[in-house]
Amino acid sequence: MRTRLAVRLGRFIALAALVAAGLVPGAANAGVQPLVLNVGTDQDLTNLNPWQSITVADYEVFTIQYELLVSYDISLQPAPGFADEWSSSDDGMTHTFHIREGMRWSDGEPATCEDARWTYQFVLDVLASEDGYVGSGYLEPYISNTGLESVECTDANTLVARTSHPTTLMDDVYIPILPAHIWSQYSQAQISNTEAEDYFANEPPVVGSGPYVAVEWEPGEFIRFARNENYWGDPGVPDEIIFRTFGGSDTMVQALRNGELDYVRGTGADEFDALATEPNIRVSEGFSNGYTMLSMNTRATQEGYNGSTSALEDHAFRDAIGYAIDRQELVDRVLNGHGVPGSTHVPPYHVKWHVEPTTPRTFDIDEANRRLDAAGYARGADGIRVDKDGKPINLRLTWPSSEDHATDAQFIQGWFEQLGIGVEAFVTDEGTLIDDLYGPPAGGEADWDMYIWGWVGDPDPGSLLGLFTTDQIEAGVNDCFYSDERYDQLFQEQLEATDEAVRKEKIAEMQQLFYDAACYHILYYDNTLDAQRTDKFTGWTNQPPESGTPLFGYGYAGYMQLQDASAVPTPGPTTAATTAPGATQAPAATTPPAGSTGSDMTVPLLVGAVAVIAVIAGGFWFTRRRGPRVEEE
Amino acid sequence: MSVRYVGRRLMTAVLTIGMIVLLNFVLFRMMPGSPERILLGRIPNVSSEVLQATRERWGLDKPLVPDQFVAYVGSTLGGDLGFSYGERGRPVAAVLEQHLWPTLLLFGLGEVVAIILGLALGAYSGWRRGGLIDHIGNGVSLVLYATPYFLLGMGLLLVFASGLHWFPTFGMSDVGRQYKDAFDQLIDIGRHLALPLATVSLGLVGQYAILMRSSVIETMTEDYITTAHAKGLTEGRVLRSHALPNALLPTVSLVAINLGYVIAGAITVEIVFNWPGLGTLTVEALESRDYPVLQGIFLLLSVTVVFANLAADLLYGILDPRVRT
Repeated sequence: MRTRLAVRLGRFIALAALVAAGLVPGAANAGVQPLVLNVGTDQDLTNLNPWQSITVADYEVFTIQYELLVSYDISLQPAPGFADEWSSSDDGMTHTFHIREGMRWSDGEPATCEDARWTYQFVLDVLASEDGYVGSGYLEPYISNTGLESVECTDANTLVARTSHPTTLMDDVYIPILPAHIWSQYSQAQISNTEAEDYFANEPPVVGSGPYVAVEWEPGEFIRFARNENYWGDPGVPDEIIFRTFGGSDTMVQALRNGELDYVRGTGADEFDALATEPNIRVSEGFSNGYTMLSMNTRATQEGYNGSTSALEDHAFRDAIGYAIDRQELVDRVLNGHGVPGSTHVPPYHVKWHVEPTTPRTFDIDEANRRLDAAGYARGADGIRVDKDGKPINLRLTWPSSEDHATDAQFIQGWFEQLGIGVEAFVTDEGTLIDDLYGPPAGGEADWDMYIWGWVGDPDPGSLLGLFTTDQIEAGVNDCFYSDERYDQLFQEQLEATDEAVRKEKIAEMQQLFYDAACYHILYYDNTLDAQRTDKFTGWTNQPPESGTPLFGYGYAGYMQLQDASAVPTPGPTTAATTAPGATQAPAATTPPAGSTGSDMTVPLLVGAVAVIAVIAGGFWFTRRRGPRVEEE
Repeated sequence: MSVRYVGRRLMTAVLTIGMIVLLNFVLFRMMPGSPERILLGRIPNVSSEVLQATRERWGLDKPLVPDQFVAYVGSTLGGDLGFSYGERGRPVAAVLEQHLWPTLLLFGLGEVVAIILGLALGAYSGWRRGGLIDHIGNGVSLVLYATPYFLLGMGLLLVFASGLHWFPTFGMSDVGRQYKDAFDQLIDIGRHLALPLATVSLGLVGQYAILMRSSVIETMTEDYITTAHAKGLTEGRVLRSHALPNALLPTVSLVAINLGYVIAGAITVEIVFNWPGLGTLTVEALESRDYPVLQGIFLLLSVTVVFANLAADLLYGILDPRVRT
């Protein structure tokens, strides 16, 4: 018996070894494989129909495949896209675009003015339709903000657009030009309603005009793009681009270290700092085009609103508590320093438009207390301040599920307690929170006091500014119920401003107005943390260079900068590692020391060896302890 | 095995599934937030007319009982589980199917490997109680049993993927790779499968070995073993014909029960290796609050557990004459 078992075991081990030998690389991998850019993201690509775009991955995917009428270069300046030249009339109301001649879609059909006209006309029809929006509803405002009235082709290569008011925003329309010969076969409902039987999902192979088009897609897993041979410009260096979706950032970062990924979007703060010191890896810390804020229910006790105290309606009260928020502390402790303390609602990402308020609320608990005293909020017997109705001020503070926001809330709770303001902090499901936020004009009950959440913007600051016009209260977007005639007027004026300096002035005033109103306290602008390998591709360039990341910006410019590292005579990064905007300086990526793989392996091997020894030692320990009892049985 | 026994088991299974369907309906309608808001997400400029239209499209304007419930049961029986919110426009059934096969492959193979290795190790340890194999095997089993999947997975990943570069870190295949032939493709999937499979098998092997060992030890004290020895049978014959069949019984229930934990294990193993199965899908669906998909996963898993238990009951009936009535 014993021998027979041993023989069988021996056979099994031999077989297993044989199978394992086949699995270990070395034998495989013959032939020429394409040069692939592997990108890892923890965000799901939800669909390939641009009108349904929600996530950053969705937007990135359509900007690779389709041209905008006017695109963005690496500095986020207008650059040739579907049109190669464009101009506006002196009154700023007639806009002429010259569509590049001889362009073709990836399926070989000619790409002409008609495609651009169809796309813009589709949006005009959508805006005029009963629904008023298509898909996720995020793209149409780019057209409605311009005041576009009509669009026509005067010849095969000339598109003329007329707007109801002067505007410079026609160069800034973030809408992909779609191939009319495909999309015009579908109705608005088929494009908009994802649950419809005949819904147009735009499955691969996608017909596009960008440098790469999707050829294979497994939802939730990966999407593969191949080079579009009909792309009008110089072809990109990668033969293929593959986006892989990850459930968490740990494995993704590990895959980058192993060289299975070339780019990681969203490394997490801890991993980012570790990666910054590793060979062959470049990190990029970009300003995010958005912010995290503390929002207040400024109509708390008005009819139909359900805030807990009238103090929230008082500007003096909201202003005073703004002095009790240490924004730098939040950046340091919540974001590990990877962010910028918040001020106005146009983030510093918009280098051209962001201004600092002239009346900043700097952290000072004593000042906050003084202001609350002066505003008439006396402390009750228990130390809690009472509002003008004689009610103790206990504010509810909530946020949608997020670890960061939970920590933010803890800090705020601590600071406000020093002011004699009670804070009850709790998390709320996102769906419920949206419901709770709406005020009566949007069909809700506004049953809340304060919440922490964020907004994300576009290349143009218009969308972030447009959230707070009075009419957006009804739309449920302006959720702190900010309403100021001057602000509304300025919003319209900046849309129509054709002179940049004039527009800048108006946007600056809007930031100051909104800041002073203390409707939101902007807590911070959190940075995006990406990492790239420099031993396969070089030429990583941030978009924009001073404050962005190489990919996941606007347009496909970052992809076109890449070079094959093996074809570049002097290896090593061509650009220095990005500097962290406003935060700690990230160490520069170093050039790889020759034969550095040895050091790569030491740590994991050691860990493995220790683990194996621990398992064996543990085994002996357990059995020794159990030994005597077994003997006794 | 009597017809009554089978009939009773089948009845219980059908009733349980009925309860699951009911619970599935109630549970996901008790979720916070109104469904139409969740459906639409944080879309700007949504008017009350659009909200109303959405309600109508999803039948949310009709009463919960009977209209919504009847519609729900009807479509569920017909295999229509609705549409995913996260992967916009895709039917839930298609999403589930896409992710079901990788999980089946990983955990099916993992179970098979673990059962073979675990039972062999356990049986041998129990048979040669106090020997060297027993000492080491039992200790290692206990340690493996106590190690969480993600820790085991991360350890294997660090050593064999990051350290030695023998295996890839994530995924199920090299995307976009041109395969020479089917064998080439099989090797590619095999290389990706190796580490997750090792994690699953090692995680399961401990408990099977421990259970089998104690079961064999217990069986060895039975009178019929003494009788078998007295009849002059060889040791191997006693083990194979008398001890093992009886000792196997408890492991049948353990395997069935384990199927219920597949998803718990699947989530951690699949996330560590980014394996495109139901576990990864669950996490993604939770993150994007994809309720229809979660509902589908819930239904699929509960029905699987019910069927696994039914299968175990029936198998028990065949294996053990004592439970046939």
